[in-house]
Amino acid sequence: MQKKKQKTKYLLPVAFAMILVVFLVLGVVFMRNSLMKLTVEERSSQLEEMVTQIQANLQSGLQTHWNLATGLNDAIQGEHFENEQELCDNIARLEKMFCTDMYGSQVMLLDAQGTGYLKDGPVGIWNDIIHLTDGKNQHTFVSETDNIDGCFLVFSQELVSPVTMGENNVRFTHVVLLKDIKTVKQYYTTMTYGGSAATYFIKSNGIMAYFDADDDDVIGARNIFKALEEVEYVQGQSFEIVTEQLDRDGIAVANIMLNKTEYYYCITTLDDYDMKLMLLIPADSVAVSTMNMMDSTIRTGVVFILAMAVLMLLAVISFIRVQQSSQMVKVEQETNRELNRLRMVAESANAAKSTFLNNMSHDIRTPMNAIIGFTNIAVKHNPPPEIKSCLDKISESSEHLLALINDVLDISRIESGKIKYTPTPVDIAEVTDSVLTIMYGYLSNRSITFRTELEEPKMRYVLTDAVRVREILVNILGNAVKFTNDGGTVTYSVSYHPAKDDRYINVRYRIADTGIGMEEEFVDRIFDEFSQEEHGARTQYKGTGLGMAITKRYIDLMGGTISVESRKGAGSTFTVELPMEIAEACEVKKKDYSVGNTDLTGLKILLAEDNDLNAEIAIVQLEELGMQITRAADGEEAVRFFAENPEGTFDLIFMDVMMPKMNGYEATKAIRCLPNRPDAVMIPIIAMTANAFAEDVQASLDAGMNGHLSKPIVMDEVVKTIAGNLDR
Amino acid sequence: MKRFTCFLLSFVMTAAMLAGCGNQGEKEEKTVENVESQAEKKENDQSQSEEKEKVVVACWGNQMLDTYTQYLCDQFPEVEFEFVLATNSTDYYRFRADHDDMPDILTVRRFALKDAVLLKDYLYDLSNTELANTYYGSYLDSYTYDDGSVNWLPTCAEVDSLIINKTLFDEYNVPIPTDYASFAAACEAFEEVGIRSFVSDFEADYTCMEVLQGASIPMLQSLEGRKWRQQYESGMTNELSEEVWIPVFENFFDFKEKTGLGAEDATYPNRTPKDMFSEGKAAMFRGTGADVISFPGRGEDEVLLMPYFGQTEQDNWYLTYPTFQIAASKNGMDDPEREKLILDIMTAMVNQQGQDHISYGKNMVPYKKDVTLELMPEMDNLKPYVEQNKLYIRLASNDMFRISKDVVQMILNDEIKTPKEALDAFNKELAGEEPGTEIVAHIDTEYSNDFTPEHGNQAASSVANTIRRLSGVDLVFMQSCYVASDIYSGDYSQKDLAYLAKNDGGWPGLMELTGDQIYTLVETTFSMTGNRGAVCNDSTLYVSSGFEMDITKNDDGYTLNALTIDGKELDRSATYSFLIYGDRDWYMSDVMEKMGVTEVDIDGPKAEGYLMQCLVEQDGQLEAPSDYITMR
Repeated sequence: MQKKKQKTKYLLPVAFAMILVVFLVLGVVFMRNSLMKLTVEERSSQLEEMVTQIQANLQSGLQTHWNLATGLNDAIQGEHFENEQELCDNIARLEKMFCTDMYGSQVMLLDAQGTGYLKDGPVGIWNDIIHLTDGKNQHTFVSETDNIDGCFLVFSQELVSPVTMGENNVRFTHVVLLKDIKTVKQYYTTMTYGGSAATYFIKSNGIMAYFDADDDDVIGARNIFKALEEVEYVQGQSFEIVTEQLDRDGIAVANIMLNKTEYYYCITTLDDYDMKLMLLIPADSVAVSTMNMMDSTIRTGVVFILAMAVLMLLAVISFIRVQQSSQMVKVEQETNRELNRLRMVAESANAAKSTFLNNMSHDIRTPMNAIIGFTNIAVKHNPPPEIKSCLDKISESSEHLLALINDVLDISRIESGKIKYTPTPVDIAEVTDSVLTIMYGYLSNRSITFRTELEEPKMRYVLTDAVRVREILVNILGNAVKFTNDGGTVTYSVSYHPAKDDRYINVRYRIADTGIGMEEEFVDRIFDEFSQEEHGARTQYKGTGLGMAITKRYIDLMGGTISVESRKGAGSTFTVELPMEIAEACEVKKKDYSVGNTDLTGLKILLAEDNDLNAEIAIVQLEELGMQITRAADGEEAVRFFAENPEGTFDLIFMDVMMPKMNGYEATKAIRCLPNRPDAVMIPIIAMTANAFAEDVQASLDAGMNGHLSKPIVMDEVVKTIAGNLDR
Repeated sequence: MKRFTCFLLSFVMTAAMLAGCGNQGEKEEKTVENVESQAEKKENDQSQSEEKEKVVVACWGNQMLDTYTQYLCDQFPEVEFEFVLATNSTDYYRFRADHDDMPDILTVRRFALKDAVLLKDYLYDLSNTELANTYYGSYLDSYTYDDGSVNWLPTCAEVDSLIINKTLFDEYNVPIPTDYASFAAACEAFEEVGIRSFVSDFEADYTCMEVLQGASIPMLQSLEGRKWRQQYESGMTNELSEEVWIPVFENFFDFKEKTGLGAEDATYPNRTPKDMFSEGKAAMFRGTGADVISFPGRGEDEVLLMPYFGQTEQDNWYLTYPTFQIAASKNGMDDPEREKLILDIMTAMVNQQGQDHISYGKNMVPYKKDVTLELMPEMDNLKPYVEQNKLYIRLASNDMFRISKDVVQMILNDEIKTPKEALDAFNKELAGEEPGTEIVAHIDTEYSNDFTPEHGNQAASSVANTIRRLSGVDLVFMQSCYVASDIYSGDYSQKDLAYLAKNDGGWPGLMELTGDQIYTLVETTFSMTGNRGAVCNDSTLYVSSGFEMDITKNDDGYTLNALTIDGKELDRSATYSFLIYGDRDWYMSDVMEKMGVTEVDIDGPKAEGYLMQCLVEQDGQLEAPSDYITMR
């Protein structure tokens, strides 16, 4: 009887524990399924967002080319040419006039029978005339014929009034803009997926018009729709569902299995172009950070469940022993809820941080532009010495504040992965030398011996990000000067070493100083953010404490290394090694557009700027260089000014972005689309804005602008940009 | 058990020794052995045949019997091919589809996507095959439907323009034309010396269509012409546009006047203009690259293939069309092995080797990236036109063929006198019902056209027996693949009856032959290679009516053992009235030469005519087939 009672006493907690285990297992399965579903949704939505952005880029880019094609029609329609030579010369003239090479395009005229004429002469009957007979007068398609070498995106415009040639009046019916398909890449290339995304342009009947990817075409089919019909879909999807969604929403996402690998594809319609755009990406590359978060959540969940199971076990044992253990479980659950709440708070704080950074950048730069600009103007009016001293201090403090803002933003942006390494062909010796000019500025009021050991490179031309390299070197050299007392020495050496891969060289920069040096334990922390050695260094030597952290991040971004040797009181030596790909000499463009070498007198500028202070600063500084400025107070006014004035009234437009009524992007698009104004597509439009991030620059270019200047404006940059665009 | 075995062995040895005592016994033994070994071989052959995968290929023309079918048999020894000679029209395949009997591989020369789209549900989609990827995209686009699928792929391009006897031009000091004005001048010069300037076989629909289009290519190729064609081919219009076609008919009237074409030309069959050209009685004729090889003027003359001439040299164009298109039936393609085999065969049909067999390697232009075809010197003129892509592809819908013939013949006969009348007549026919579609006959008994060693090809035998009865001849000999499908039981329209047998390319040759000559005929036929009447396998064997053939099949082909009539050996000295049904220019002329026969009457009805006579006019039924063949 006693034994039976004993058994009954254990039965209840054991049964409870078993039910709980079953519940936990079911919970794990449920959680896993929910997370999987969530993963798909997250990946799909990211992909959809990306493709929507690419679609918008592409549509905008294509529209620019249509404007060009329409302009070509306006320029040549109804003309008569005496002979083939005159016709071809005029094609060459049109190409020059419309700067078609800037768009990677060439012009072709088609006669009534379909013979194509390029500037070099006839190319025979164009195989693609089959596309021009459906009764429409504009056609866009991908062309790869044996008439003309290359693959092109075609913009064909039926001439409103035919061109004629020769005594027989051979009739020309179409002007065609052949855009090298490789130059379309800029509209759809995305580094978000680490180069693993494949891009497909698909005709409305499902036939692949163009494919671009670093790897082979994994679909490997001419009829993409048919192939997508036949592949295996994950998550109960099908091509039928995709098609329905595409028809309904204009965009659809699905995940499929190809060669035993999971892929996501996102397909969208390019309105008015009888084409679709599709991105195909291995699932592993989509929403990587989200996936990592999910994985870690799953892992945490599993660990938590296991912990719970163990706890249950312990609880049962405890229950048997002390019958009080259920309290512990409740406590654990409470703790977990609290942890989850904290995690969500952290996530929203992170999102808020990004928004804050963007707003701070724009809102601080706008008044900073005014402060720096007006200070510079005031200094130029020869103020009395005591006022000049005040102005110099304002200027110095403003620049320090700007540097601080820039550093804080830079480090945040590096952390969020927004800063990219963009190598371009450069003369590395020039990059090295350009640092010297800055150094001499630093050394001008110091008694420091500056030594250089600059090896002459065998390969002068390399692919690298010159701006970043300069920033790295100036940062280290600047510190060397800053932390070396007068009478000391700073040595700057550059040497070049072969890399493992023949296509690369390793450039080694060594900066040694005889300055105050660092404690051994600080050397280990030198690349941490806000790391400044104590003992009053912060007060004695001004700085944000972010310089070396940024430097290290840049070097990592470029695949390089940095090492430090330092001894307190004896000095420091920094060694930076950067691998650089060797480039062809011809890839490097050289042109001196410095202020002293450039005459901008008489240039007529349309300035669109809503902020009166900024407008005044810009007008004063631009007029000082001899330019004539017309100000528009918003985007709408800028478009009106341009449209109402005849061709040639303005040589260039500076366009603020955030303006009332019509923002700078909209205003640019409106100007580019102006009918009967061939100059509307030609006039350089430069963004002049407090939006300073790389994606802002890209947005300006996507909107059809030719360049981007961030506020506060630096006149040297302004001059270079004007000169570069007007080829002065 | 051992003892029983020893007994059995000694019995067999004794029997063998006894058997060796006399000659008669030896001969009988050998005969028995022969029969046994032959039976064994036949059994082996049959089992091999049973193991072989059967593939039915419908050949658009008897040109394919020349070397092409043999090439396919050589390439795929594991396949048992059944070749049938199809009517050259996509509508023929509609007829086969109606009877749920689509061949595995289809070929056709007369092609328009507008007509072919009706077969879409029956055909395999080639769009994502490696085979399709070997084509230039712009050509493939012409074969792609709105949904991206591709059923048909072209082989190389046949060039069909003006063949000029340069030697004749030189003899009469007539400059070789460079444009339409000099062409007209040349025509006038030749007419003055009594030589026809230009001739063609306007009895044929394709000639009427090609010359009508060829004389106006710049207009048809103009933007307006191309727009109209796109609308017509996509079914958006079914009438000729006045803007495009009035100038086309104006040009044709002018062409007719300059070349002196008239009512007599409308009656010229295929061979007549070629004979005139070969005899130096005509300076130019419409012909193909293959014709340049086959009809080189008076033997030693230099001939050139020239373009259709336009107002200026810039307006000169060559007229072209794919030699033929290929497609595959959907049937059986869900089996991956079968699918692979069919695609392998199709690949072999259009790859370099295949196209060499089509084009003789030198008279055609390829559409594929991986095929190079060298042009022969007579076609040097073509090269710059190929480079400039000035190759017009004829508009070749079924309606275009049929109505072009009607209208052009009426123009030649002066029944139509103005371009406007021609346009109206053309459009009237386009709007009307297609003739020959109403039910006119019923066949009660169906016969298969599968070949079996026991009964031969029963469908072909039925047709041959019917022709023999109606023609009244003693004996008939025809290649069995000229019967293009099973004889299905059921209702037939006139068009459908025509599809039962090959009519274009098949001719009834009536002649008197002795028994010896018939032996020569059959032996020559079996030994023939590289000829449009050649035998490459069982499906291309001949069917006999009124006599039987005893043949042996061996590794080298077929040998004749004996010919019999009702089981008795054919009298070699007797004379028989005989009808050969087959190709006239390549097959019939060769066998007649071997037999020493010079007289032949080919004016009788073709197979279609006999079928109409039997089933419609006499309201009868086809003759029953007979066991006409013994194959060892």
